[in-house]
Amino acid sequence: MAFPLPRGITPPEISFLAEMEMVTILPRQRLEGLELLGGPVEPLIPPRRASVPLWLALLLKRQRRANILPPSWLHPESLSFILDIETQYEEYKETFSPPPPLPGQPFLHDRGERAVATPRFTPDGDKYYPAPPFLPQNVARDHVPAQELQTLPFHWLEVGNMLLEAASEDLVDPDQTRRLLKELREVRMAKIRSGVDALDAAAMGGGGVALTGVGAIELGEGRRFISGVIDGLRRIGASREQARREELAEEMANGGYDATQDDDDEMEF
Amino acid sequence: MDIDDILASVDRHDPSTPESTALDHQLLTRFWVAERGISELLPWPGALMDRMMERVRRQIETIEDLAAAASSDPYTDPTTTTTTTNPTRNTHQATANLTLSILQTDLSRTQYLLRSLLRQRLSKLTQHSMHYLLLLSAPSPNTSQSQSQSQPQNDDLKPEDTIPTPDTTGPNPPLSAPEVQFLHAHQLLLAKHYGDAFLGSFPPQLRRLDDNAGGTSMVQGPDAKEVVFVRCLVEEVRVVVPPGDGVEEEVLGGTAMRMGDVWAVRWEGVRGAWGRGEVEVL
Repeated sequence: MAFPLPRGITPPEISFLAEMEMVTILPRQRLEGLELLGGPVEPLIPPRRASVPLWLALLLKRQRRANILPPSWLHPESLSFILDIETQYEEYKETFSPPPPLPGQPFLHDRGERAVATPRFTPDGDKYYPAPPFLPQNVARDHVPAQELQTLPFHWLEVGNMLLEAASEDLVDPDQTRRLLKELREVRMAKIRSGVDALDAAAMGGGGVALTGVGAIELGEGRRFISGVIDGLRRIGASREQARREELAEEMANGGYDATQDDDDEMEF
Repeated sequence: MDIDDILASVDRHDPSTPESTALDHQLLTRFWVAERGISELLPWPGALMDRMMERVRRQIETIEDLAAAASSDPYTDPTTTTTTTNPTRNTHQATANLTLSILQTDLSRTQYLLRSLLRQRLSKLTQHSMHYLLLLSAPSPNTSQSQSQSQPQNDDLKPEDTIPTPDTTGPNPPLSAPEVQFLHAHQLLLAKHYGDAFLGSFPPQLRRLDDNAGGTSMVQGPDAKEVVFVRCLVEEVRVVVPPGDGVEEEVLGGTAMRMGDVWAVRWEGVRGAWGRGEVEVL
Protein backbone atom coordinates (compact mmCIF):
# COMPACT_ATOMS: atom_id res chain seq x y z
CA MET A 1 0.00 0.00 0.00
CA ALA A 2 1.40 3.33 -1.04
CA PHE A 3 -0.75 5.24 1.42
CA PRO A 4 -2.77 3.81 4.27
CA LEU A 5 -4.83 6.85 5.34
CA PRO A 6 -8.43 7.35 4.21
CA ARG A 7 -9.29 10.19 1.85
CA GLY A 8 -9.87 13.58 3.43
CA ILE A 9 -7.43 14.87 6.00
CA THR A 10 -7.58 13.05 9.32
CA PRO A 11 -7.66 14.68 12.78
CA PRO A 12 -3.87 14.40 13.35
CA GLU A 13 -3.32 16.07 9.98
CA ILE A 14 -5.80 18.80 10.92
CA SER A 15 -3.79 19.45 14.09
CA PHE A 16 -0.72 19.63 11.89
CA LEU A 17 -2.45 22.32 9.82
CA ALA A 18 -3.63 24.15 12.93
CA GLU A 19 0.00 24.38 14.06
CA MET A 20 0.60 26.67 11.07
CA GLU A 21 -1.71 29.33 12.53
CA MET A 22 0.14 32.47 13.56
CA VAL A 23 0.02 33.35 17.27
CA THR A 24 1.52 36.20 19.26
CA ILE A 25 4.33 35.49 21.69
CA LEU A 26 6.24 37.51 24.22
CA PRO A 27 9.83 36.26 23.88
CA ARG A 28 11.99 35.93 26.98
CA GLN A 29 15.26 35.74 25.10
CA ARG A 30 16.78 37.13 21.95
CA LEU A 31 16.87 35.15 18.77
CA GLU A 32 17.91 36.26 15.33
CA GLY A 33 15.44 36.22 12.49
CA LEU A 34 15.29 32.90 10.67
CA GLU A 35 14.59 31.95 7.07
CA LEU A 36 12.33 28.91 7.37
CA LEU A 37 10.78 26.87 4.60
CA GLY A 38 7.41 27.97 5.92
CA GLY A 39 8.35 31.62 5.57
CA PRO A 40 10.58 34.07 7.45
CA VAL A 41 10.44 34.43 11.24
CA GLU A 42 11.01 37.90 12.61
CA PRO A 43 13.84 38.47 15.12
CA LEU A 44 12.80 37.89 18.72
CA ILE A 45 13.75 40.83 20.93
CA PRO A 46 12.26 40.90 24.44
CA PRO A 47 10.00 42.55 25.45
CA ARG A 48 8.72 43.18 21.93
CA ARG A 49 5.83 41.00 20.77
CA ALA A 50 6.27 38.77 17.75
CA SER A 51 4.02 36.66 15.52
CA VAL A 52 5.23 33.12 14.93
CA PRO A 53 3.57 29.88 13.80
CA LEU A 54 1.89 27.95 16.60
CA TRP A 55 4.33 25.02 16.38
CA LEU A 56 7.24 27.39 16.97
CA ALA A 57 5.40 29.17 19.77
CA LEU A 58 4.77 25.82 21.49
CA LEU A 59 8.41 24.78 21.02
CA LEU A 60 9.60 28.03 22.62
CA LYS A 61 6.97 27.82 25.35
CA ARG A 62 7.96 24.28 26.35
CA GLN A 63 11.55 25.45 26.77
CA ARG A 64 10.36 28.48 28.75
CA ARG A 65 11.81 30.82 26.19
CA ALA A 66 8.55 32.66 25.51
CA ASN A 67 5.04 33.30 26.76
CA ILE A 68 2.06 33.00 24.46
CA LEU A 69 -0.49 35.79 24.34
CA PRO A 70 -3.86 34.14 23.82
CA PRO A 71 -6.04 35.33 20.91
CA SER A 72 -8.94 37.54 21.87
CA TRP A 73 -11.57 34.91 21.08
CA LEU A 74 -9.97 32.52 23.60
CA HIS A 75 -11.19 34.55 26.54
CA PRO A 76 -14.03 33.40 28.81
CA GLU A 77 -16.03 36.54 27.98
CA SER A 78 -15.70 36.06 24.22
CA LEU A 79 -16.43 32.36 24.44
CA SER A 80 -19.59 32.84 26.50
CA PHE A 81 -20.70 35.55 24.05
CA ILE A 82 -20.27 33.09 21.16
CA LEU A 83 -22.00 30.36 23.16
CA ASP A 84 -24.92 32.75 23.56
CA ILE A 85 -25.09 33.26 19.81
CA GLU A 86 -24.99 29.52 19.24
CA THR A 87 -27.76 28.74 21.70
CA GLN A 88 -29.99 31.79 22.24
CA TYR A 89 -30.51 33.28 18.81
CA GLU A 90 -33.28 31.92 16.67
CA GLU A 91 -31.45 32.57 13.39
CA TYR A 92 -28.47 30.47 14.48
CA LYS A 93 -30.56 27.62 15.82
CA GLU A 94 -29.51 25.28 13.04
CA THR A 95 -26.40 26.96 11.72
CA PHE A 96 -23.05 27.71 13.27
CA SER A 97 -22.12 31.15 14.50
CA PRO A 98 -20.50 33.17 11.69
CA PRO A 99 -16.79 32.60 11.03
CA PRO A 100 -14.27 35.44 10.98
CA PRO A 101 -14.54 37.25 7.62
CA LEU A 102 -11.94 36.66 4.94
CA PRO A 103 -9.91 39.69 3.81
CA GLY A 104 -12.23 41.94 1.83
CA GLN A 105 -15.38 40.39 3.21
CA PRO A 106 -17.63 42.76 5.19
CA PHE A 107 -18.89 41.91 8.66
CA LEU A 108 -22.26 40.35 8.98
CA HIS A 109 -24.28 43.30 10.16
CA ASP A 110 -23.23 45.75 7.47
CA ARG A 111 -24.72 43.82 4.64
CA GLY A 112 -24.79 46.90 2.46
CA GLU A 113 -21.08 46.54 1.76
CA ARG A 114 -20.05 44.26 -1.04
CA ALA A 115 -17.45 41.57 -0.63
CA VAL A 116 -14.35 42.27 -2.70
CA ALA A 117 -11.75 39.55 -2.96
CA THR A 118 -8.34 40.86 -3.96
CA PRO A 119 -6.06 38.14 -5.25
CA ARG A 120 -2.33 37.81 -4.86
CA PHE A 121 -0.44 36.22 -7.68
CA THR A 122 1.63 33.07 -7.47
CA PRO A 123 4.97 32.86 -9.31
CA ASP A 124 3.15 30.74 -11.91
CA GLY A 125 0.72 33.59 -12.55
CA ASP A 126 -2.33 32.00 -10.93
CA LYS A 127 -4.59 33.88 -8.57
CA TYR A 128 -4.23 33.15 -4.89
CA TYR A 129 -6.64 34.13 -2.15
CA PRO A 130 -5.27 33.46 1.34
CA ALA A 131 -7.41 31.50 3.79
CA PRO A 132 -6.94 29.84 7.19
CA PRO A 133 -4.51 28.71 8.53
CA PHE A 134 -2.64 31.54 6.82
CA LEU A 135 -4.71 34.46 8.09
CA PRO A 136 -3.94 36.26 11.34
CA GLN A 137 -7.06 34.99 13.12
CA ASN A 138 -5.30 33.84 16.27
CA VAL A 139 -2.95 36.70 17.00
CA ALA A 140 -3.47 38.80 20.11
CA ARG A 141 -4.69 42.33 19.50
CA ASP A 142 -4.62 45.20 21.96
CA HIS A 143 -7.44 47.01 20.36
CA VAL A 144 -10.50 45.26 18.99
CA PRO A 145 -12.80 47.61 17.04
CA ALA A 146 -16.11 48.05 18.83
CA GLN A 147 -18.28 47.01 15.91
CA GLU A 148 -16.35 43.78 15.47
CA LEU A 149 -18.07 40.70 16.83
CA GLN A 150 -16.17 37.86 18.43
CA THR A 151 -16.01 34.85 16.15
CA LEU A 152 -14.59 31.35 16.28
CA PRO A 153 -11.75 30.85 13.76
CA PHE A 154 -11.59 27.75 11.55
CA HIS A 155 -9.07 25.96 13.78
CA TRP A 156 -10.63 27.08 17.07
CA LEU A 157 -10.82 23.75 18.83
CA GLU A 158 -7.28 22.64 17.96
CA VAL A 159 -5.67 25.97 18.80
CA GLY A 160 -7.72 26.25 21.97
CA ASN A 161 -6.84 22.78 23.18
CA MET A 162 -3.16 23.08 22.31
CA LEU A 163 -2.89 26.37 24.17
CA LEU A 164 -4.78 24.95 27.15
CA GLU A 165 -2.44 22.00 27.25
CA ALA A 166 0.90 23.75 26.77
CA ALA A 167 0.31 27.29 27.93
CA SER A 168 -2.56 27.21 30.41
CA GLU A 169 -0.81 29.66 32.77
CA ASP A 170 -0.80 32.26 29.96
CA LEU A 171 -4.58 32.09 29.59
CA VAL A 172 -7.20 34.03 31.49
CA ASP A 173 -9.02 31.57 33.75
CA PRO A 174 -8.06 28.30 32.00
CA ASP A 175 -10.64 26.19 33.85
CA GLN A 176 -13.52 28.37 32.76
CA THR A 177 -12.08 28.48 29.22
CA ARG A 178 -11.86 24.71 29.11
CA ARG A 179 -15.44 24.35 30.28
CA LEU A 180 -16.73 26.83 27.71
CA LEU A 181 -14.81 25.16 24.87
CA LYS A 182 -16.35 21.85 25.85
CA GLU A 183 -19.85 23.33 25.94
CA LEU A 184 -19.38 24.99 22.55
CA ARG A 185 -18.18 21.73 21.11
CA GLU A 186 -21.22 19.85 22.36
CA VAL A 187 -23.68 22.47 21.13
CA ARG A 188 -22.10 22.48 17.69
CA MET A 189 -21.85 18.71 17.47
CA ALA A 190 -25.57 18.48 18.10
CA LYS A 191 -26.10 20.89 15.18
CA ILE A 192 -24.06 18.70 12.85
CA ARG A 193 -26.11 15.68 13.84
CA SER A 194 -29.46 17.42 13.46
CA GLY A 195 -28.44 18.80 10.05
CA VAL A 196 -28.64 15.38 8.38
CA ASP A 197 -32.08 16.16 6.96
CA ALA A 198 -30.65 18.92 4.80
CA LEU A 199 -28.03 16.68 3.19
CA ASP A 200 -30.42 15.59 0.46
CA ALA A 201 -29.83 18.92 -1.33
CA ALA A 202 -26.21 17.99 -2.08
CA ALA A 203 -27.17 14.66 -3.59
CA MET A 204 -28.46 16.18 -6.83
CA GLY A 205 -26.12 17.59 -9.45
CA GLY A 206 -25.47 21.30 -9.00
CA GLY A 207 -26.74 21.29 -5.43
CA GLY A 208 -24.92 21.66 -2.18
CA VAL A 209 -25.24 21.94 1.57
CA ALA A 210 -23.88 24.95 3.43
CA LEU A 211 -21.78 24.27 6.50
CA THR A 212 -20.52 27.83 6.90
CA GLY A 213 -18.83 28.45 10.22
CA VAL A 214 -17.89 24.83 10.79
CA GLY A 215 -14.53 24.17 12.45
CA ALA A 216 -11.76 22.14 10.91
CA ILE A 217 -11.85 19.31 13.41
CA GLU A 218 -15.64 19.20 13.36
CA LEU A 219 -15.49 18.83 9.60
CA GLY A 220 -12.82 16.15 9.98
CA GLU A 221 -14.98 14.15 12.35
CA GLY A 222 -18.17 14.58 10.35
CA ARG A 223 -16.54 14.11 6.96
CA ARG A 224 -16.94 10.38 6.55
CA PHE A 225 -20.51 10.43 7.84
CA ILE A 226 -21.66 13.42 5.77
CA SER A 227 -20.03 12.30 2.53
CA GLY A 228 -21.25 8.75 3.14
CA VAL A 229 -24.85 9.92 3.53
CA ILE A 230 -24.70 12.20 0.49
CA ASP A 231 -23.10 9.54 -1.71
CA GLY A 232 -25.70 7.03 -0.57
CA LEU A 233 -28.53 9.42 -1.37
CA ARG A 234 -26.94 10.14 -4.73
CA ARG A 235 -26.92 6.46 -5.68
CA ILE A 236 -30.55 6.09 -4.65
CA GLY A 237 -31.52 9.14 -6.70
CA ALA A 238 -29.26 8.38 -9.66
CA SER A 239 -31.99 7.17 -12.01
CA ARG A 240 -34.25 10.09 -11.10
CA GLU A 241 -31.42 12.49 -11.80
CA GLN A 242 -30.61 10.84 -15.11
CA ALA A 243 -34.24 11.06 -16.19
CA ARG A 244 -34.28 14.73 -15.33
CA ARG A 245 -31.09 15.30 -17.30
CA GLU A 246 -32.51 13.55 -20.32
CA GLU A 247 -35.63 15.69 -20.09
CA LEU A 248 -33.42 18.77 -19.99
CA ALA A 249 -31.44 17.54 -22.98
CA GLU A 250 -34.67 17.08 -24.89
CA GLU A 251 -35.89 20.56 -23.96
CA MET A 252 -32.62 22.04 -25.09
CA ALA A 253 -32.78 20.17 -28.37
CA ASN A 254 -36.33 21.33 -28.99
CA GLY A 255 -35.46 24.91 -28.18
CA GLY A 256 -37.55 25.59 -25.10
CA TYR A 257 -40.06 24.56 -22.52
CA ASP A 258 -43.40 25.70 -23.85
CA ALA A 259 -43.35 24.32 -27.32
CA THR A 260 -42.79 20.76 -26.22
CA GLN A 261 -44.78 20.72 -23.01
CA ASP A 262 -48.13 19.80 -24.57
CA ASP A 263 -46.71 17.14 -26.83
CA ASP A 264 -45.06 15.45 -23.88
CA ASP A 265 -48.31 15.32 -21.95
CA GLU A 266 -50.12 13.75 -24.86
CA MET A 267 -47.42 11.19 -25.32
CA GLU A 268 -47.94 9.88 -21.82
CA PHE A 269 -51.59 8.99 -22.38
CA MET B 1 -8.98 41.25 -16.57
CA ASP B 2 -8.87 44.80 -15.23
CA ILE B 3 -5.95 47.10 -14.61
CA ASP B 4 -5.39 45.88 -11.03
CA ASP B 5 -4.93 42.34 -12.22
CA ILE B 6 -2.39 43.42 -14.79
CA LEU B 7 -0.48 45.52 -12.27
CA ALA B 8 -0.50 42.69 -9.75
CA SER B 9 0.75 40.16 -12.26
CA VAL B 10 3.62 42.44 -13.28
CA ASP B 11 4.43 42.88 -9.61
CA ARG B 12 5.02 39.16 -9.25
CA HIS B 13 7.44 37.94 -6.62
CA ASP B 14 10.94 36.96 -7.40
CA PRO B 15 11.10 33.27 -6.36
CA SER B 16 14.13 33.83 -4.13
CA THR B 17 12.54 36.32 -1.72
CA PRO B 18 11.28 35.27 1.73
CA GLU B 19 7.74 36.39 0.82
CA SER B 20 7.76 34.00 -2.08
CA THR B 21 8.92 31.20 0.24
CA ALA B 22 5.95 31.83 2.48
CA LEU B 23 3.58 31.94 -0.49
CA ASP B 24 4.90 28.68 -1.91
CA HIS B 25 4.52 27.04 1.48
CA GLN B 26 0.89 28.12 1.55
CA LEU B 27 0.34 26.87 -1.99
CA LEU B 28 1.90 23.51 -1.17
CA THR B 29 -0.20 23.15 1.97
CA ARG B 30 -3.39 23.97 0.10
CA PHE B 31 -2.50 21.57 -2.70
CA TRP B 32 -1.76 18.82 -0.20
CA VAL B 33 -5.14 19.25 1.51
CA ALA B 34 -6.86 19.17 -1.89
CA GLU B 35 -4.98 16.10 -3.06
CA ARG B 36 -5.89 14.34 0.19
CA GLY B 37 -9.51 15.36 -0.08
CA ILE B 38 -10.65 14.47 -3.57
CA SER B 39 -10.94 11.25 -5.47
CA GLU B 40 -9.06 11.99 -8.68
CA LEU B 41 -5.44 12.87 -9.29
CA LEU B 42 -4.82 16.61 -9.54
CA PRO B 43 -2.55 18.05 -12.25
CA TRP B 44 1.09 17.87 -11.22
CA PRO B 45 2.25 21.30 -9.95
CA GLY B 46 5.64 21.01 -11.60
CA ALA B 47 7.00 24.54 -11.11
CA LEU B 48 5.90 24.67 -7.46
CA MET B 49 7.44 21.28 -6.69
CA ASP B 50 10.71 22.23 -8.38
CA ARG B 51 10.94 25.37 -6.26
CA MET B 52 10.09 23.47 -3.08
CA MET B 53 12.63 20.70 -3.73
CA GLU B 54 15.33 23.28 -4.45
CA ARG B 55 14.56 25.10 -1.19
CA VAL B 56 14.58 21.86 0.79
CA ARG B 57 17.98 21.00 -0.69
CA ARG B 58 19.37 24.43 0.23
CA GLN B 59 17.88 24.28 3.73
CA ILE B 60 19.51 20.88 4.35
CA GLU B 61 22.85 22.40 3.35
CA THR B 62 22.31 25.33 5.71
CA ILE B 63 21.48 22.97 8.56
CA GLU B 64 24.52 20.82 7.87
CA ASP B 65 26.77 23.87 7.85
CA LEU B 66 25.31 25.11 11.11
CA ALA B 67 25.58 21.70 12.74
CA ALA B 68 29.19 21.35 11.61
CA ALA B 69 30.01 24.80 12.97
CA ALA B 70 28.31 24.07 16.28
CA SER B 71 29.98 20.71 16.81
CA SER B 72 33.43 21.85 15.75
CA ASP B 73 33.27 24.99 17.84
CA PRO B 74 34.38 23.50 21.22
CA TYR B 75 37.41 21.86 19.66
CA THR B 76 38.78 24.82 17.72
CA ASP B 77 39.88 26.89 20.66
CA PRO B 78 39.51 24.89 23.89
CA THR B 79 42.74 26.29 25.30
CA THR B 80 41.79 29.92 24.94
CA THR B 81 38.53 29.39 26.78
CA THR B 82 38.74 30.70 30.26
CA THR B 83 36.22 30.27 33.02
CA THR B 84 35.11 33.88 32.76
CA THR B 85 34.01 33.57 29.12
CA ASN B 86 32.20 30.29 29.69
CA PRO B 87 28.74 31.67 30.54
CA THR B 88 28.52 33.69 27.32
CA ARG B 89 29.88 30.74 25.42
CA ASN B 90 27.23 28.51 26.87
CA THR B 91 24.39 30.84 26.01
CA HIS B 92 25.82 31.19 22.54
CA GLN B 93 25.91 27.41 22.27
CA ALA B 94 22.35 27.15 23.57
CA THR B 95 21.10 29.67 21.02
CA ALA B 96 22.83 27.78 18.24
CA ASN B 97 21.19 24.56 19.39
CA LEU B 98 17.81 26.26 19.53
CA THR B 99 18.22 27.67 16.04
CA LEU B 100 19.23 24.27 14.81
CA SER B 101 16.25 22.53 16.38
CA ILE B 102 13.86 25.12 14.96
CA LEU B 103 15.32 24.74 11.48
CA GLN B 104 15.15 20.96 11.72
CA THR B 105 11.55 20.97 12.93
CA ASP B 106 10.61 23.26 10.07
CA LEU B 107 12.41 21.04 7.59
CA SER B 108 10.70 17.91 8.91
CA ARG B 109 7.30 19.55 8.62
CA THR B 110 7.89 20.46 4.99
CA GLN B 111 9.30 17.03 4.21
CA TYR B 112 6.24 15.46 5.80
CA LEU B 113 3.99 17.52 3.52
CA LEU B 114 5.93 16.51 0.42
CA ARG B 115 6.09 12.86 1.41
CA SER B 116 2.41 12.64 2.24
CA LEU B 117 1.52 14.36 -1.03
CA LEU B 118 3.62 12.03 -3.16
CA ARG B 119 2.41 8.90 -1.38
CA GLN B 120 -1.20 9.96 -1.79
CA ARG B 121 -0.61 10.44 -5.50
CA LEU B 122 1.03 7.02 -5.83
CA SER B 123 -1.89 5.45 -4.02
CA LYS B 124 -4.36 7.07 -6.45
CA LEU B 125 -2.23 5.99 -9.40
CA THR B 126 -2.11 2.34 -8.35
CA GLN B 127 -5.81 2.31 -7.57
CA HIS B 128 -6.87 3.41 -11.06
CA SER B 129 -3.68 2.73 -13.01
CA MET B 130 -5.39 1.66 -16.23
CA HIS B 131 -7.63 4.72 -16.20
CA TYR B 132 -4.70 7.12 -15.95
CA LEU B 133 -2.73 5.23 -18.59
CA LEU B 134 -5.65 5.53 -21.00
CA LEU B 135 -5.96 9.19 -20.06
CA LEU B 136 -2.30 9.80 -20.86
CA SER B 137 -2.58 8.13 -24.24
CA ALA B 138 -5.97 9.70 -24.96
CA PRO B 139 -4.96 11.79 -28.03
CA SER B 140 -5.06 8.69 -30.21
CA PRO B 141 -8.33 6.91 -29.44
CA ASN B 142 -8.72 5.80 -33.07
CA THR B 143 -5.60 3.68 -33.06
CA SER B 144 -6.59 1.88 -29.88
CA GLN B 145 -10.03 1.27 -31.36
CA SER B 146 -8.60 -0.31 -34.46
CA GLN B 147 -6.21 -2.36 -32.37
CA SER B 148 -9.01 -3.77 -30.29
CA GLN B 149 -10.76 -4.88 -33.43
CA SER B 150 -7.74 -6.31 -35.19
CA GLN B 151 -6.05 -8.00 -32.28
CA PRO B 152 -8.56 -10.68 -31.32
CA GLN B 153 -7.35 -12.62 -34.35
CA ASN B 154 -3.91 -12.65 -32.82
CA ASP B 155 -3.68 -16.01 -31.05
CA ASP B 156 -0.98 -15.14 -28.56
CA LEU B 157 -2.31 -11.84 -27.28
CA LYS B 158 -0.83 -11.17 -23.87
CA PRO B 159 -2.61 -8.97 -21.30
CA GLU B 160 0.38 -6.63 -21.24
CA ASP B 161 -0.07 -5.94 -24.96
CA THR B 162 -3.27 -4.06 -24.19
CA ILE B 163 -1.48 -1.49 -22.06
CA PRO B 164 -1.18 1.81 -23.89
CA THR B 165 2.17 3.55 -24.00
CA PRO B 166 1.88 6.85 -22.18
CA ASP B 167 2.36 9.96 -24.24
CA THR B 168 4.40 12.51 -22.27
CA THR B 169 4.79 15.14 -24.94
CA GLY B 170 1.72 17.12 -23.85
CA PRO B 171 2.21 20.75 -22.82
CA ASN B 172 0.74 20.40 -19.34
CA PRO B 173 1.16 16.81 -18.19
CA PRO B 174 -1.14 15.73 -15.35
CA LEU B 175 1.63 13.52 -13.98
CA SER B 176 5.31 14.11 -13.37
CA ALA B 177 7.78 12.12 -15.48
CA PRO B 178 8.75 9.71 -12.66
CA GLU B 179 5.07 9.13 -11.97
CA VAL B 180 4.41 8.22 -15.59
CA GLN B 181 7.38 5.86 -15.51
CA PHE B 182 6.13 4.25 -12.30
CA LEU B 183 2.60 3.95 -13.63
CA HIS B 184 3.67 2.21 -16.82
CA ALA B 185 6.06 -0.17 -15.08
CA HIS B 186 3.49 -0.96 -12.40
CA GLN B 187 0.76 -1.80 -14.87
CA LEU B 188 3.13 -3.84 -17.00
CA LEU B 189 4.12 -5.97 -14.02
CA LEU B 190 0.51 -6.35 -12.98
CA ALA B 191 -0.56 -7.41 -16.47
CA LYS B 192 2.28 -9.95 -16.66
CA HIS B 193 1.23 -11.35 -13.33
CA TYR B 194 -2.42 -11.60 -14.37
CA GLY B 195 -1.33 -13.27 -17.58
CA ASP B 196 0.80 -15.86 -15.81
CA ALA B 197 -1.72 -16.44 -13.06
CA PHE B 198 -4.96 -16.91 -14.96
CA LEU B 199 -5.51 -14.77 -18.07
CA GLY B 200 -3.05 -16.94 -20.06
CA SER B 201 -5.42 -19.88 -19.96
CA PHE B 202 -8.33 -17.81 -21.31
CA PRO B 203 -9.17 -17.59 -25.02
CA PRO B 204 -7.12 -14.73 -26.58
CA GLN B 205 -10.11 -12.41 -27.04
CA LEU B 206 -10.82 -12.48 -23.32
CA ARG B 207 -7.33 -11.49 -22.29
CA ARG B 208 -7.64 -7.75 -22.75
CA LEU B 209 -7.41 -5.44 -19.75
CA ASP B 210 -9.25 -2.59 -21.48
CA ASP B 211 -12.20 -4.56 -22.76
CA ASN B 212 -15.28 -2.51 -23.53
CA ALA B 213 -17.50 -5.19 -24.98
CA GLY B 214 -21.19 -4.42 -24.71
CA GLY B 215 -20.56 -0.71 -24.29
CA THR B 216 -19.32 -1.07 -20.74
CA SER B 217 -15.68 -0.30 -20.19
CA MET B 218 -13.93 -2.50 -17.65
CA VAL B 219 -11.55 0.33 -16.82
CA GLN B 220 -12.83 2.14 -13.78
CA GLY B 221 -11.88 5.69 -12.98
CA PRO B 222 -12.24 7.79 -9.86
CA ASP B 223 -15.74 8.97 -9.04
CA ALA B 224 -15.98 12.70 -9.80
CA LYS B 225 -19.47 12.85 -8.32
CA GLU B 226 -18.23 12.32 -4.78
CA VAL B 227 -18.80 15.21 -2.41
CA VAL B 228 -16.00 17.43 -1.25
CA PHE B 229 -15.96 20.24 1.27
CA VAL B 230 -14.95 23.58 -0.16
CA ARG B 231 -14.62 27.16 1.01
CA CYS B 232 -15.57 29.91 -1.40
CA LEU B 233 -12.79 32.51 -1.63
CA VAL B 234 -14.29 35.02 -4.04
CA GLU B 235 -17.49 37.06 -4.14
CA GLU B 236 -19.59 34.29 -5.67
CA VAL B 237 -19.13 30.86 -7.22
CA ARG B 238 -21.94 28.97 -8.95
CA VAL B 239 -21.91 25.19 -8.74
CA VAL B 240 -22.10 23.72 -12.22
CA VAL B 241 -23.33 20.47 -13.69
CA PRO B 242 -20.83 19.27 -16.29
CA PRO B 243 -21.96 17.89 -19.66
CA GLY B 244 -23.23 14.33 -19.67
CA ASP B 245 -26.34 12.18 -19.92
CA GLY B 246 -27.21 13.72 -23.26
CA VAL B 247 -26.82 17.34 -22.16
CA GLU B 248 -24.06 18.79 -24.28
CA GLU B 249 -23.14 21.91 -22.38
CA GLU B 250 -22.31 22.88 -18.85
CA VAL B 251 -25.38 23.88 -16.85
CA LEU B 252 -25.34 26.23 -13.88
CA GLY B 253 -26.69 24.58 -10.78
CA GLY B 254 -29.07 26.19 -8.33
CA THR B 255 -26.38 26.74 -5.74
CA ALA B 256 -24.45 29.99 -5.42
CA MET B 257 -21.70 30.07 -2.84
CA ARG B 258 -20.87 33.40 -1.23
CA MET B 259 -17.48 34.50 0.00
CA GLY B 260 -16.33 32.69 3.14
CA ASP B 261 -19.03 30.03 2.87
CA VAL B 262 -18.20 26.37 3.43
CA TRP B 263 -20.20 23.94 1.32
CA ALA B 264 -20.46 20.22 0.72
CA VAL B 265 -20.78 19.89 -3.06
CA ARG B 266 -19.90 17.46 -5.82
CA TRP B 267 -16.30 17.64 -6.96
CA GLU B 268 -17.29 17.84 -10.62
CA GLY B 269 -19.41 20.89 -9.78
CA VAL B 270 -16.49 22.97 -8.50
CA ARG B 271 -13.55 21.49 -10.40
CA GLY B 272 -13.38 24.49 -12.72
CA ALA B 273 -13.60 26.97 -9.86
CA TRP B 274 -10.83 25.10 -8.04
CA GLY B 275 -8.64 25.36 -11.12
CA ARG B 276 -9.14 29.12 -11.12
CA GLY B 277 -8.30 29.28 -7.41
CA GLU B 278 -11.76 30.51 -6.46
CA VAL B 279 -12.50 27.74 -3.99
CA GLU B 280 -10.27 25.74 -1.70
CA VAL B 281 -10.82 22.14 -0.70
CA LEU B 282 -11.03 21.56 3.04
